Amino acid sequence: MYIGSARLSYRADEAIWQRPAHRGSVAALLLALLLLPLFGNDYTLLLAGQLCIYVIAITGLNLLTGYTGLISLGQGAFMGIGAYATAVLASRYGLPIWITFPGAMAITALAGIAVGLPSLRVRGLYLTIATLAANVIIIFIIRKMEWLTGGDRGISVTPASIFGVPIQAELAKYLLIMPIAAIFVLFAQNLFRTKVGRAFIAIREQDYSAEILGISLLRYKLTAFALGSAYAGAAGCLWTYFFTALTPNQFDLGLSILFLAALIVGGMGTVLGPVFGAVFVVLVPEVLRSLASLATPYYPMALQATAPLTEIIYGLLIIGFLIFEPMGLTALWNRFWRYIDRWPFTR
Amino acid sequence: MKNQSRRSFLKNTGAAAGLTALGSAGFPAIVKAQAKEWVLGASMPLTGPYAMAGALGMPGIIDFIAMTNDSGGIGGKPIRGIMEDSGYVPSRSLANFKKAYAEAPDMAGYFGDSTGFMKLLAPELNDRYKVLTGSTSFASELANPGTNPYQYVSGPTYQDMFGILLQHISEQGGKRLAFVYSDTEFGKDPIPYGRKRAAELGIEVVHEEITKPAGAEVQTHVAQLRRADPDFVIMHGYVTGVWPAIIATARAFGMETKFLGTFWAMEKVIADKASAKVGEALDGYMGVMPYRYFYDRADAPAYQALDAWNKEHNEKYPGYLVTWYLEVRITLDLWHQAMEATINADKPVNGDNLAAALKGIRNWDSGGFFGKPVTVESHKIAQGRVYAYNAGNKLFLPVSDWLEV
Repeated sequence: MYIGSARLSYRADEAIWQRPAHRGSVAALLLALLLLPLFGNDYTLLLAGQLCIYVIAITGLNLLTGYTGLISLGQGAFMGIGAYATAVLASRYGLPIWITFPGAMAITALAGIAVGLPSLRVRGLYLTIATLAANVIIIFIIRKMEWLTGGDRGISVTPASIFGVPIQAELAKYLLIMPIAAIFVLFAQNLFRTKVGRAFIAIREQDYSAEILGISLLRYKLTAFALGSAYAGAAGCLWTYFFTALTPNQFDLGLSILFLAALIVGGMGTVLGPVFGAVFVVLVPEVLRSLASLATPYYPMALQATAPLTEIIYGLLIIGFLIFEPMGLTALWNRFWRYIDRWPFTR
Repeated sequence: MKNQSRRSFLKNTGAAAGLTALGSAGFPAIVKAQAKEWVLGASMPLTGPYAMAGALGMPGIIDFIAMTNDSGGIGGKPIRGIMEDSGYVPSRSLANFKKAYAEAPDMAGYFGDSTGFMKLLAPELNDRYKVLTGSTSFASELANPGTNPYQYVSGPTYQDMFGILLQHISEQGGKRLAFVYSDTEFGKDPIPYGRKRAAELGIEVVHEEITKPAGAEVQTHVAQLRRADPDFVIMHGYVTGVWPAIIATARAFGMETKFLGTFWAMEKVIADKASAKVGEALDGYMGVMPYRYFYDRADAPAYQALDAWNKEHNEKYPGYLVTWYLEVRITLDLWHQAMEATINADKPVNGDNLAAALKGIRNWDSGGFFGKPVTVESHKIAQGRVYAYNAGNKLFLPVSDWLEV
């Protein structure tokens, strides 16, 4: 009987999910995601779709912040670039999603490279402030380019269409977004089994040492920015088709902070961290709000007291996680699997 | 309206309740064929930056449902409310809408809490949901049955409000005007129209000052205003903050410019609070109010009914209902009118029929909310009145007649 993570071959050592139980859990999760439309209504699918978009954006942030150590407060604005690039390409030039999706990723990646240039000279908090400034500038530009973006009035797009089928219903949107999110997460997982991913981690651990070892900081830091931003661009593109109406304030600094908070709560530098983080920031407030409105049918004014309470509870939950599980929700997940892996010898 | 007293208003309401009590036998067949209750959804910002406005507006929904149900519901069926907090985040409001719709696919009406939400909802509302939706927004582009067939504005749009103010300034002989507005969609909405209309009236816009919607550096902005030296300043895009501070600072700088505002910056409670801090600086501040203030209820049977209801049911009722409450209430009263008209015409209660019924509202007596009989044109009610704040008695008092745009 094998316990723990015994790896008896190179193939096993390189496997993404190393134990049958891991593979089973991933299969169960994918099955649940596929079956969700059978049980979920529009509201459930809206949340699931939004969650998947957040997973993509936060995974992009994770590549940058969690793996490469470049803390960014600009992910929300990058997502805005992707969203507006999509809206402009689709509404003004009538381009289909096959072009707008990679187009949005490419445009956002270029913006990411531009914003990432200071990372070659500044690090830590200084870089964070630089990305924060980029966030403000990007949103400012989006608002001021009224002739292109509609400014504060926003811009609308017609729903995406694939093989002539309009992606309009919540179910269709979900079935478009969910597999893309899964592929993007898988790509991130695989990235860290490659030279590029290892270079990111080396830069995170000590960039000067990495450079001495022959890792080009210019190349890999900008690659990290480009990749992280491309993820945000993909999320922005899907966001556009998901909601079909954009205004600049959807992508303000609050969204970037939310993504960073989700990453910290979920667990930085882990592939599952963004997934857990997205689940936390999307579902926990919804659950709390649902609980808050439980009394409404009997005592309508109760919502006035319970609604602010949910904000306090949500804040306390975040603080609680930071205090009791600073490694994020992923650490709890890993601990659970360590217990399973070592069973029956676990204590 | 003037020939309808509070007593007759209550009598009429009671008569409607009596009819209801006779049972559903007398109601059109369509009522019996549809759901046992009418579902009315709502998103309100009970948390977030506009929590105060949300908390004071929310009772408007709750009281509307309770009062309507007490008087027999609509077409003999009660209203059930599905209310959620939005935090003033449009995507959350959208989730609330979809949650309510999933719970009640025959939802008959919805109340939204922002222009952002109304825009976010519009594409799917037009294509799929088709639920008649009112909101807190007076955004000009919402009042367009062509692009937003299921959305309506329960008063004049911001452009209309600017039109009324500019007309008033013109009549006062104003020649030099400045706009101060927040750097938001809300703040910028009527500005292009304002520039155009001012030019038509021969008023020169000598300065435009753009501020943050909250926490603006007021002294810097007022210094710019003083340099421009306008006769009149129209402020727009504010709710609880900034506008009182701008006026108070301008007075402290010795400016005698007249300040004017629009609906969301015309609440007595806010003006009173500011006056408690800065003395009489706000005296003479003017603005457009689509509705009568609640204390002006001698000729307003609907307000008297609200007063009586709150005295009976609300222990903390201070004797005054804020304008935000009134906006919520009239929005729902318009929906109520559309519902009644649809049911009486024996048509199914759905978005298309309700929107058609809304358009059909002509010379309706609102019970005092509006000064003139209400006619819905382009999904809005283009009338209002200019009021001025009196710091002595802490009341906004009318300085114009009811004006139609």
